[in-house]
Amino acid sequence: MNMDEELQDARLRELARLLGSGAAERLDVERTAQAVVTRLRERPRVTLTGWVWMQPAWLKIAAAIVLLLGAGVVTRVLVRERIPSALVAPLGEDLTDLTSDQLRETVGALEQPFADESPGALDAGLESLNTIELRALLRTLES
Amino acid sequence: MPQAQSVAAADAVLIAAWQGGDEQAAAELVRRHARALARFLAAAGAPEADLDDLVQETFIRAFRAVGRFRGQCQFRTWLLTIGGNVLKDAARRFQQVRVVPLDDDLRSRDGDPHETAVAGEAEGRLREGLERLPHMQREVFLLRAQQGLEYEEIAAALGTSPGAARVHYHHAVKRLKESLQ
Repeated sequence: MNMDEELQDARLRELARLLGSGAAERLDVERTAQAVVTRLRERPRVTLTGWVWMQPAWLKIAAAIVLLLGAGVVTRVLVRERIPSALVAPLGEDLTDLTSDQLRETVGALEQPFADESPGALDAGLESLNTIELRALLRTLES
Repeated sequence: MPQAQSVAAADAVLIAAWQGGDEQAAAELVRRHARALARFLAAAGAPEADLDDLVQETFIRAFRAVGRFRGQCQFRTWLLTIGGNVLKDAARRFQQVRVVPLDDDLRSRDGDPHETAVAGEAEGRLREGLERLPHMQREVFLLRAQQGLEYEEIAAALGTSPGAARVHYHHAVKRLKESLQ
């Protein structure tokens, strides 16, 4: 560092030391101290819970959890909507209790999702099947 | 250094007393550090009209958060960094910090009017240069050049390394010298 630079540095530090000194001297410290004490008395301390929840990191984590829960709920609703209501009950019960119409309705509901698995039977049209054939078809689909 | 240690010890006693509910301990901490804080804030661009409010707000924030002060640096250094954040928030609220009249500090100085005018001009340029600096560079520069702190102390207060603090300071000095030329 040459002499010019040293002088410049010294001048800069000197100027920095002077900066704001006038304003600071004019500050009424005693009045400020009393005002701070009064404000501390008036405004109760922030509770730990309040402080924790004000932290950005906690807010981000909370937002992420809410988003995940929301996405989970929406997914669940969508999946439920896609399962035909007719499918839920009959497959869990005994098929012998169903009438021909109920069996046709149930197989009709199954037609879309399982179309690729049993194309022959479903392509032929359900109207032509009797009760026994419908039961057999449903059992096949069940297994 | 021993003086700094005794200051730190006295501050620690007052902080403990405040944490125990002693309001007068808080008032005493204000008396000990308010002027240094005001000088720091004024140099960083705080308008004199708002200086008292900014000083008060800094102390309020510091006293509320004093549980997080672990003595990693001096209480005053920690307070100054809180002051820097208070000023930054205030500047955001008011869009920009108003510029303090440049001759405020000069009126009280005696001496040759020409020299006073030259010094005033340099001071004005320094102020403008400081306002243009990034927040971190400005804080490091003021803590080092105005408050006379060591890099280790500055780094501890700002949560950075002494090396990084040194780099910030040198960048700040380089840019401020350009503004003074």
